[in-house]
Amino acid sequence: MQNPHPGLPEIEYIKPASLEEASKFLAAHAGEARPFLGGTDTFVRLRDGAWKDKYLVDVKGLDGTAQVSFDPEKGLTIGAGVAMNRVEAMPEVREHYPLLAEAIRTVASYQLRNRATIVGNICNASPAGDTIGACMLYGGVLKVFGADGVREEPLDTFFKGPGKTNLKPGDIALSLTLPLPPRGHVGRYIKVARNKLGDLAIVGVSVLAYPDATLASGYRFLIALASVAPVPLRVPAAEKVLAEKTIDEATIAEAAQIAMDSCSPIDDVRGSAQYRKLMVRNMTRRALTEVWQKLTQAA
Amino acid sequence: MAILGQSVQRVDALGKVTGKTLYPGDLNFPNQVYMKVYFARRPHARIVSIDTSAAEQHPGVLAVFTAKDVPVNEYGLGIFDQPVLCGPGSSKPYADRVRFVGDQVALVVAETEEIATHARDLIKVVYEDLPVVDDPLEAMQENATLLHPDRGSNILTKYRIRKGDVEKAFSTADVIVEGEYITPVQEHVFLQPEAGVGLIDEEGRVTVYVAGQWAHKDQEQIAHALGLPLEQVRVIYPAIGGAFGGREDMSVQIILALAAWRLHQRGIDRPVKIVWSREESIIGHHKRHPYRIRTRWGATKEGKIVAAEVELIADSGAYAYTSPKVLGNATLMCTGPYEIPNVKVDSYAVYTNNIPNGAFRGFGGPQAAFAAEMQVNKLAEKLGMDPVELRMRNILREGSVLSVGTPIPKGVSIEKVLAECALKAGWQKTEMGWKAPDIQSIDPKYPHLRRGIGIACAFKNVGFSFGAPEQCWATVELIGKAEIETVRVYHAGADCGQGAHTVFAQIAAETLGVPMEKIELIVSDTATTLNSGSASASRMTFMAGNAIKGAAELALENWNNEERPAKGTYQYRPPKTTPYDPETGKSEPNFAYGYVAEAAEVLVDTETGQIEVNRFVCADDVGKAVNPQQVIGQIEGAVVQALGYTLMENFIQKDAVPLTTTLSTYLIPTILDIPEKVESIVVEQPDPIGPYGARGMGEMPYMAVAPAVCTAVKMATGVWIDEFPLTPERILDALGELEEEGEA
Ligand SMILES: Cc1cc2nc3c(=O)[nH]c(=O)nc-3n(C[C@H](O)[C@H](O)[C@H](O)COP(=O)(O)OP(=O)(O)OC[C@H]3O[C@@H](n4cnc5c(N)ncnc54)[C@H](O)[C@@H]3O)c2cc1C
Repeated sequence: MQNPHPGLPEIEYIKPASLEEASKFLAAHAGEARPFLGGTDTFVRLRDGAWKDKYLVDVKGLDGTAQVSFDPEKGLTIGAGVAMNRVEAMPEVREHYPLLAEAIRTVASYQLRNRATIVGNICNASPAGDTIGACMLYGGVLKVFGADGVREEPLDTFFKGPGKTNLKPGDIALSLTLPLPPRGHVGRYIKVARNKLGDLAIVGVSVLAYPDATLASGYRFLIALASVAPVPLRVPAAEKVLAEKTIDEATIAEAAQIAMDSCSPIDDVRGSAQYRKLMVRNMTRRALTEVWQKLTQAA
Repeated sequence: MAILGQSVQRVDALGKVTGKTLYPGDLNFPNQVYMKVYFARRPHARIVSIDTSAAEQHPGVLAVFTAKDVPVNEYGLGIFDQPVLCGPGSSKPYADRVRFVGDQVALVVAETEEIATHARDLIKVVYEDLPVVDDPLEAMQENATLLHPDRGSNILTKYRIRKGDVEKAFSTADVIVEGEYITPVQEHVFLQPEAGVGLIDEEGRVTVYVAGQWAHKDQEQIAHALGLPLEQVRVIYPAIGGAFGGREDMSVQIILALAAWRLHQRGIDRPVKIVWSREESIIGHHKRHPYRIRTRWGATKEGKIVAAEVELIADSGAYAYTSPKVLGNATLMCTGPYEIPNVKVDSYAVYTNNIPNGAFRGFGGPQAAFAAEMQVNKLAEKLGMDPVELRMRNILREGSVLSVGTPIPKGVSIEKVLAECALKAGWQKTEMGWKAPDIQSIDPKYPHLRRGIGIACAFKNVGFSFGAPEQCWATVELIGKAEIETVRVYHAGADCGQGAHTVFAQIAAETLGVPMEKIELIVSDTATTLNSGSASASRMTFMAGNAIKGAAELALENWNNEERPAKGTYQYRPPKTTPYDPETGKSEPNFAYGYVAEAAEVLVDTETGQIEVNRFVCADDVGKAVNPQQVIGQIEGAVVQALGYTLMENFIQKDAVPLTTTLSTYLIPTILDIPEKVESIVVEQPDPIGPYGARGMGEMPYMAVAPAVCTAVKMATGVWIDEFPLTPERILDALGELEEEGEA
């Protein structure tokens, strides 16, 4: 018989009936079982032999993973199993979380986004994940079901290294909550890649900003970088400059330079470390400038 | 006469869009078994021993084959320098060596693909590594490690051209431009990775269903390696999922035949199927040759090019493949479509441990055209002359003498083609000569975005060159009584997806004056058709067209003589060509040419180094567009493929090990990366000996893309970049951006 999925090893598919069952199974089979949602990272890694799991535990559809809802008070809650396209198409997302919508549209292709999930993007913890920066800047918090019940994991402290997070065997991410962003905020995601459709980011720059009268500059700027460090990277030092100094071309350039100096990218077939650093500076400057222009136009 | 020149529906359209058409990987036979290849996956080593016992004992494994199972363990298109399977016990010397990562060492045949894969991984090969040679310049050194010790040198082929006296001519030149150009490897990325089935047919013939470009050449190479008479081997091409030159050499052909034949000898008559993964395809077949071209051109201030001196070095990779022929083309085309009185060319194809390089759309032409056209554009800049004007003052015309000392065949149209392209792209013909369009390279609103336009032109042979035997057979059979009811066209020619079979039917219908519906094609099976030559060298429409036209005319004559069914078999032979003279290069290289001119408008983002091609114009003389829609499809496809080559496709080999063996690491353009529209100008100046005036055209629109784009980038950025692909990093490096930051 011809293998219809060449290279894909034999895997047992588990469809648990409850979260408890899923969590127990995953904990009991640590190292050889993993949860999956869209599977768009999982199947590629299994085929490449990078992952050697025996069991795939389908956690789509379990309690709280299939819905996405918006509450004008609490914000947006995205169930783990909700595909990116569904999130991106929501009018509330386009209105209140435009940076997330923009980031989603840069992920692979429309077809892939019919399967891929935001929570999968986060749990996969690739430094190149395109939606992670937006979720971090919106103050995203993961709801996780584990052996000790349900807990919250703020994204700012969630990532430990490429593919490494605070999740332990038996943990299942249920949903992601993004609080309601400040009024009048502006965002921008710039992805530098080798092509316009399907490539991973050589560098990704997320910027979010809003008026904040408590700061010397009058604005709060947040910056996250993709593909330039072992984890998705926030740049507090640059954010500080933008909070304290009058925003102008020089301040923006200074912040961009700090962003560049704070990252530690690697060389790979997609781009050299040197090019990545330069792109961090140039694209941070570009994103900050565009965001700044929009903020001042709105004012 | 309504069929020729019409965009009739392709004969394969319905089957392909409904999914009914079967490609080699879709074929399934009762009782079939599966094969996996053990690839060497190391660039240079001697195989000390192969232990297949664990694999053989694995349940479900039918057989494991190694070098000792190959009757005549050698093959090649022209030069038999490659073992079918590498390893000890071979019938040929030095066949115990692996010379590139994709060399094949063992074959496992099993009940399922999984078992074959698993058993393949149980094979133990002991290697003794040999020094790796990955740079052609190093390979040319006297003391270099030899890839093929029996050949005494890593230089596989060299040619020279000596016309006039270049040194003297340079002393009369007002301007001289020197350049060193480096062109990259390119992977074909045809849609369908290699696949096929080998079996013993009802007449006892070793039969291979496979996608190739020349069924009878495949048959010949299989028969040679198996030590069988030609008639005992049969090759059938089902639908072919793209080729671009990448199927000219053997991939799975011989091993499928070998496995089916050896099993048969053991009393097992079961079809053997193989399907390569994309990664196996990328390491398993050849690539486009990278070239290093050093060149010097001189011109007078009146814009007369007086001399060109060129040295070309091509990396052949581990085996010859079509390197000698590709080099032959590059040697001719490196001085461009110009009449230059003094020419000196020295060219070399050199073995290294890199993946072999061979046929790929343009066949050495694009590499040579890159150097030639960049030189002309630089000369124009230095002379302060418009680049179209400079070209017009030197361009090949009817009766012009080529660098090889003989006149170019009649039907020369490059002047017209260039003029049409230039006009469409915005050039003006004024009383003062040609004048480029005004393009502001800097937009004050977006100072980091720069614009530029570039133009280039080229010529490319149609058909086999330099004395290679060239011919094409066709048989046409007319069935009916009072009226022709059915026309059977027997032809071996490969339809790689370019629409060749539709053209065959159109030419037959046109010649016979019957509607398309009456044509029945019996194609691409060595048991029922005669040798057509390959689907390559932009030759298929030209050669098959002439053959089918001849056969149809013969059949019609017999029909009129009351023969029923009336049959005509015809072999078309074009005018003879001759090889390079070893000292002077004097030769009659080709019997026909196609001509192309191309212009590109680019937008360069100087902060990211990214380039967008906003506008692309291609004028191509096709002689006669047998099927205009197919012609435009070829132009657009070639331009896009060449834009990928120029801008994006970056095949990386480190110490002769490829790092880009997947389509997530080796990127080709997506629908969003290409110009919204390629403006195609289909010029129809008949070729005097082409069928109904048609010329070949599949490769021509590929030819001048790289120099047109690189020249546009020069205008946009102010920097000449003589090496591509123009990756963003290369652009920023050329602009001095990367060095500056490297210090930080
Ligand atoms: C062709 C292609 C192109 C791509 N392009 C991009 C791109 O441009 N940008 C980008 O960011 N990504 C890209 N990706 C990667 C991938 O699509 C994204 O990371 C996607 O968001 C993953 O979501 P998923 O639901 O498919 O994850 P899955 O594959 O289902 O899971 C990903 C990881 O998360 C873990 N996981 C899944 N669910 C849970 C859970 N509930 N709790 C705990 N852990 C869990 C899994 O065990 C696995 O480790 C691409 C992938 C492919 C195949």
